Amino acid sequence: MGGLSNAAYLFIVAVGLSLVFGALRVINMAHGSLYMIAAFVTVVVANRLGLALGFWVGLLAAVIVTGAVGVLIEIVVLRRVYREEHLIQLLGTYAVTLIVAGAVRIIFGSNYRTMSPPQLFSGSLSLAGYRYSVYSLFMIGAAIMIAVGVNLMLYRTALGRNIRAAVSDSELLSASGVNVARLFTTVFAIGAGLAALGGVIVAPSQAVGTSMDSDVLVLAFAISVIGGLGSIIGSAVGAVLVGEIYSFGLVNPYTNQFALAFVFIIMTAVLTIRPWGLFGRAEQ
Amino acid sequence: MITRYLGPADARIRWGIAAFFILFAAAVPPLAGLYGQLNPDISSRFEIYLATSAMILALWAISYNLMLGYAGMVSFAHAAYFGIGAYTVGLLFQRYHLPVLEGLLLTPIAGALVGLATGLVALRAVRLYFSLLTLAISQLLFTIAFNWVAVTGGDNGVHGITIPDQLSDYTPLYYFVAGVVGLCLIVMFVITRSPFGAALAAIRENRERARSIGINVKMYELAVYTLASTFAAIAGGLFAVFQQEAYPEMLYWTQNAQPVVVALLGGTGSFLGPAIGAFIYTVLQNTLSKNYANQFDIILGAIVLVVVLIVPGGFASLPQFLTNLRNRFRREEEPARIESTGEAMREADLARVVQVQAVQAADTPVERGEPLLVIQDLSKSFGGLRAVQNVDLTVHAGDRHAIIGPNGAGKSTLFNLISGRLKPDSGKVLFGGRDITGKPPHLIAKAGIGRAFQITMIFPKLTVLQNLQYAMLAHRGYTTRPFGFANRMFRAEAMELIEAVGLGRYAALPAGQLGHGDQRAIELAISLALGSRLVLLDEPTAGMSQYETQKAMELVRQVAAEKGLTLLFCEHDMEVVFGTARTVTVMYLGRVLTQGTPEEIRRNPEVRKIYLGELEEIA
Repeated sequence: MGGLSNAAYLFIVAVGLSLVFGALRVINMAHGSLYMIAAFVTVVVANRLGLALGFWVGLLAAVIVTGAVGVLIEIVVLRRVYREEHLIQLLGTYAVTLIVAGAVRIIFGSNYRTMSPPQLFSGSLSLAGYRYSVYSLFMIGAAIMIAVGVNLMLYRTALGRNIRAAVSDSELLSASGVNVARLFTTVFAIGAGLAALGGVIVAPSQAVGTSMDSDVLVLAFAISVIGGLGSIIGSAVGAVLVGEIYSFGLVNPYTNQFALAFVFIIMTAVLTIRPWGLFGRAEQ
Repeated sequence: MITRYLGPADARIRWGIAAFFILFAAAVPPLAGLYGQLNPDISSRFEIYLATSAMILALWAISYNLMLGYAGMVSFAHAAYFGIGAYTVGLLFQRYHLPVLEGLLLTPIAGALVGLATGLVALRAVRLYFSLLTLAISQLLFTIAFNWVAVTGGDNGVHGITIPDQLSDYTPLYYFVAGVVGLCLIVMFVITRSPFGAALAAIRENRERARSIGINVKMYELAVYTLASTFAAIAGGLFAVFQQEAYPEMLYWTQNAQPVVVALLGGTGSFLGPAIGAFIYTVLQNTLSKNYANQFDIILGAIVLVVVLIVPGGFASLPQFLTNLRNRFRREEEPARIESTGEAMREADLARVVQVQAVQAADTPVERGEPLLVIQDLSKSFGGLRAVQNVDLTVHAGDRHAIIGPNGAGKSTLFNLISGRLKPDSGKVLFGGRDITGKPPHLIAKAGIGRAFQITMIFPKLTVLQNLQYAMLAHRGYTTRPFGFANRMFRAEAMELIEAVGLGRYAALPAGQLGHGDQRAIELAISLALGSRLVLLDEPTAGMSQYETQKAMELVRQVAAEKGLTLLFCEHDMEVVFGTARTVTVMYLGRVLTQGTPEEIRRNPEVRKIYLGELEEIA
């Protein structure tokens, strides 16, 4: 269960990373930073407003703030590197992670912060002889809703059609009269929004601190690499695999120091068989 | 005529800065002493301390730049190898009381072993996935250092490493570190200028092309990854000697910011750039982190951003900048810019090309007229699309064999199957009697099959001369050499060929700056320069004017006849096909429709129907 609730927030973060990569062909190293900003905003707002409203206002504030930062990053940095090699893109977004990490430390300080889950989802529940925390169930439910939502968005809306077209050939799309620059900004904002949702959902369940950007980034990369970059199903399968393995490693007292190592062993195994991930496409 | 040996003005400024830098590095302790005497409230020891850490940083960053600048690889695991070097010295001292200098001698071995083992994993993937994998490996190594308390001491790390008395003072320690760093830099400098370094540059510029000239891309990437880890570990070992400690945070992935920032700041395009970057970084860090500790990350990020987006050359592009500035002031000295018009083919001297030594078919035991390339029952599907179906084809030695067919007939797929870019689903490819089915492209290139691509595949940032030199180096197997000057090898041979194909004036220009037609000429020259027995030309004259096309094909024809090359080409221009080929194979919907002499094909009613049918569809 702990594994699945971990898988839930990891999926939300990884699917944003994957969506952005699929359409923009850029690995956003700053994805974890966006997630961290959202978590901090949620904690600060929630603790100020109290149990009843705090979480929900925090969610709104976090998505707005993170989305705005995302749009800013897209316009200032990414737009200038789409045509460059991967190397430049990696370094450019890496620079953003450094800047955000510094800014978060200045604005929010280096202390860990905690918050309680919203009243609606506090406490625990007995099910088939086991006790589950209601918030874990909420996390899993939220992840499933987001998975459905992203799928509907991609396959049932005009925006989704354009995104899928951009995945296969953005130049052709631009020639057919779509404002690709604006589409890319939108996609990146959606990606940032997903990172934000991940950060919001994780805030009541973990201590929020300044190292959470790289902690989640490493796991989200592992998920994307296992599942295949750009694949939504891949993100889901990868998230469940990584979430379960990671929790299994953490729970066992003999292995809890090496939980991360398990994840990387699985990742290596997958890549040895399929270097482009389980659901990814081989790149030339 | 000194300028002739030192090259253009900005190269002279480069050497000048390098010489100044080395003198400065040697004179740091006396200068610091002088400074200390003039300002009694400042300790000269601190200045020397800073210079020592800058030296170590320089070694670390230059080793990183072997990957970043020379091979175009972004690794996020380099801090881990630095940390491993430090732990090697620290743990051997703490557990086995091994003197630090002996420990230091073991750091390259530790770095190389871990680098090789982890590199094998990371290089299962390409480019982006590679970068992500290095990040994972880095965090894995960090986890081990941090959590395996019994061996590594956990989050405390290793402290209290004692160093020999002779090194306990700052000045001797500085010279010791500078000596080791200097030695490593010389080794790395030699490597980057060697044929091995040339292969790395080729991979950075164009992986696909690098493969097709016979470079085993993965092997070279693994080699440079291991090499970089080795030198990073030496730098880490020096750090342990200098700071007398090692701690797990050294391995944390964000620590990679240091070599990345330093390399970018100094300039990834030049060898000593990162060293200059290291000194600037150290001064910056020392002055800024005192007053703005929290803002330091932001400053680092801003530096990377500015360099990446605005001045990609970093500090080392300053000489270029200065020459440009100087030329603006002394306008009369500005050399006339050579513009490539893309019409080099007009000046090609066919008689000379034929005499070029470098263009020479490799020896194979296949006599003229015997089957050289035999394709049996070859098939390849993409999903539901059967791109090539049960193709049988024999190309005889010395023949000029054309493959024609409407779009989507499977010509390019067939070429990709022969050259190893794609693996067939079934069937066989035999070359000179050897089975080459599904072999990797570099082995097939080495076996004697050269290739010109349909889209131009050259090394854009290398000069025209280097494009051909490196192709010759790679194909003749010199690129495993980590010594010698690549740019001085095959110079005459490459120049001879360049002049013969009419590109002589552009020899020193980056190939990517040339006009389209001229780039096609380079593409053609590379495929000829490989000394292949069989040359695959995929629409060799695409984008050339009619006159150039005729001349290029005349050139190909003569070279093939004189040098015993066998040609297999596909082409849409029927005039080219019937003017050049002696055998024509027609493909349609992935199958071989018919084969014969140009005359037979011209009269074949079925072939006419296909082409007419296609015309009707268009109309």
